[in-house]
Amino acid sequence: MNDLSLENSRMAAGVSGKTKRIPVACKDKNRTLAWFLLGTAVLTVLSLLYLQIDWGKLLSRVPDIGTVFWKLAHLDFSKMDLIGSSLLETVSIAVLSLLYSLVLGILFGMLAAKNVFRKPLLSTIVQSFFTFLRAVPTPIWVLLMLVCLGMGPEAGVAGLCVHTTAFFTRSFAQSFESIPEETIEALEATGTTRLSIFCNAILPGSLSQIVAWVGMRLETNFSECAILGMVGAGGVGFVISSSLQGYDYGTAGTAILLVFAIAYLIERIFVQIKKKFNS
Amino acid sequence: MEPILRFRNVTKNYPNGVHALQNVSFTVEEGEFISVIGPSGSGKSTLLRAINRLIPISKGDVYLDGQAVSQLRGKALRDMRHKVGMIFQNYNLVYSLSVLQNVLHGRLGYMSGPKGIFGLYSEQDKQAALDLLEEMGMKQYSYNRASDLSGGQKQRVGIARAINQNPKLLLCDEPIASLDPSSAKTIMDLLHDMTRKRNIACIVNLHQLDVALKYSTRIIGLSKGEIVFDGPPQELTQKEIEKIYGTGCENLMIGGAADESKQDSLDCA
Amino acid sequence: MKANRIPLIAREQKKLYTWFLVIAVALFAAATVFTQFNPLSLLANGEAFWSFLTEDFFPPALPAGEKIPGIFSSVAVTLALAMSSTAIAAIFAFLVSLFGSEKISPFPKFAKVVRGFATFLRNIPALVWAFILFSSLGIGTGVGFVALCITSFAFMVRAFVETMEDVSQDCIESLSAVGATFPQRVSQAILPSCLSGFLSWFLYCIEVNIRASTIVGMVGGGGVGLTLFSYIKSFQYDIALSIILLIAVMVIVVDQITAKLRKELGK
Repeated sequence: MNDLSLENSRMAAGVSGKTKRIPVACKDKNRTLAWFLLGTAVLTVLSLLYLQIDWGKLLSRVPDIGTVFWKLAHLDFSKMDLIGSSLLETVSIAVLSLLYSLVLGILFGMLAAKNVFRKPLLSTIVQSFFTFLRAVPTPIWVLLMLVCLGMGPEAGVAGLCVHTTAFFTRSFAQSFESIPEETIEALEATGTTRLSIFCNAILPGSLSQIVAWVGMRLETNFSECAILGMVGAGGVGFVISSSLQGYDYGTAGTAILLVFAIAYLIERIFVQIKKKFNS
Repeated sequence: MEPILRFRNVTKNYPNGVHALQNVSFTVEEGEFISVIGPSGSGKSTLLRAINRLIPISKGDVYLDGQAVSQLRGKALRDMRHKVGMIFQNYNLVYSLSVLQNVLHGRLGYMSGPKGIFGLYSEQDKQAALDLLEEMGMKQYSYNRASDLSGGQKQRVGIARAINQNPKLLLCDEPIASLDPSSAKTIMDLLHDMTRKRNIACIVNLHQLDVALKYSTRIIGLSKGEIVFDGPPQELTQKEIEKIYGTGCENLMIGGAADESKQDSLDCA
Repeated sequence: MKANRIPLIAREQKKLYTWFLVIAVALFAAATVFTQFNPLSLLANGEAFWSFLTEDFFPPALPAGEKIPGIFSSVAVTLALAMSSTAIAAIFAFLVSLFGSEKISPFPKFAKVVRGFATFLRNIPALVWAFILFSSLGIGTGVGFVALCITSFAFMVRAFVETMEDVSQDCIESLSAVGATFPQRVSQAILPSCLSGFLSWFLYCIEVNIRASTIVGMVGGGGVGLTLFSYIKSFQYDIALSIILLIAVMVIVVDQITAKLRKELGK
């Protein structure tokens, strides 16, 4: 009997629903979301129109991609020594720039964090300077360093260092500032110097975050480093771009595969390290 | 003899217009165990932090060991600070370091230059810290991360750090407010014993009236930044309590009705 | 005295730290030897550095008047490239990521394959994709667009899968219990609970792509990167500096906008 009456009331609701709908969503909707999605859609359409990409031509050549991949897949190991040494150079540049920037980043991060020396003006100046450095993409810095220092790993390391240091400065400063104010106060109360507080409390307290940042950055640095060759510096990027331009697809394929393998390896290793540090 | 601590007409106004301390004067002699009580916002925290100048005062003078605190800068200020130990409600340890390292932080004030910066403690300091941990029954945790400890254990590390400073005065900012009743008792007993043994004067901010009555040699009652009571626990009558908290004692107990013996766990808010 | 020093931290921990230090120093030494990199040579070059900065670089100069509109339109191309490629990639990434998690996908067996494919795409830098595509599709903005799409697609697939696994396990379970179909689960459980997480990653991807599209432009994708490259190649460094400043302003403004939007959407 009950079922029947429920069914009946549902029917009634269905009939009356035609005139007045029952809302189901929350009353205070986040209007930004709707506007954001709409804005994104409009901007995307406008962008696509502005770019005037010749889709017909692009699509007609899509089968060529298959051909190129087919050629790339025919790995050619005859130039392994060239690929190997250039790859080693790329990895070396990535590691060196990372280590130098790590030291510089901790140093400048210390100056940029507002809770270490409590000099807001200094922090603001350091932060805005590095915001500028960070806003300019790495290859541009490397190009400029190439002009200054000439070809060679120096330009690569120095150029990568600019951006990496800027990145570390901001991220480390953020980690330093996330150390609770009370902890710092506790050490202040023991009569410790500010530098000592930094080294004994703030730095160890943010170590696990620093490890995470460094891991993330090594991935980026390696892939940045791999492309540096393409804008004129040495390393594996140069091998890839020159062999692609010289239609030596086999060599290029091998180099690309190795770049992928190393990038993947770095990612895996740091997943493990992060686990170790957090346990 | 010069008292360890002397407050003379100290006033503190915050930029937002709050008068945290108004014309506060008192002295602390060697070996005293003083509880500061009063409702939230009565200036207890500010009072403690005015002593080692974590908060600068607006008017008046604070003398520590005969030295005017408000004039001190840089090295002299740090030298003054390591004469004053401090214990916090939230322990304020560096949780990613070992217990021993946290205790040794108490020595940083005595170390200068690169030694302090890189945490190169002397063997005597390390041995002293280990002995201190043993005295507090924490030796087996020396090499644990501070984050692995329970609340009561963390506070013991906090006390060890402060004692390791070799202070003349110990400031405790609500040391048991985040602890369960049984840990709270352990901590208060420990504080009492350690300071008695070493003849360290101790100032404790408390919310628990019963604890204040049990442990202190003297009680200071603060209300709206002014001292409204200053005397031994025996003199703290119902009337005085009303003056401090602005309400009767029966309203200060969660249970409601007043109990005759003040030893019961009064939980004054 | 040295023999019985009192340690500060537990032995295993000390071992861990020591290992890290040893590895870092070894890597540093090996890399330094291999590349012959000497940081002092940078200092020795300091003078050349300084003269380059003061004579060639500063002060920033404006290019000839008739070229200025061209530069601004190239900035617009870079922005449009980043915007459109991220948005298109996000749509595809959303659809694909639904199949990338064992807990959500209707074909759990293929989830690993989907994630592996994304990992492969992601670990090859955008510029390498650009070069591969240039050699098959020819140089042009459209190819830059596709190259950016590929990497941001792969990045977002991973990010979206992680977001979904973090956020919506419970509500997916409850909707499965109700007997909802896969599209129903997506529209009623996953989208409402993960949308703000997705959008946060989307905004991050825009920030990355603004920089990447500048770089892809340098090697032939068009936009402000190409303009800058041509000025550097023709030794007009003072004009190049103005363009670098322009790029910096562009990136900072976009970062500010995305940061604000993220805060607004997170409410």
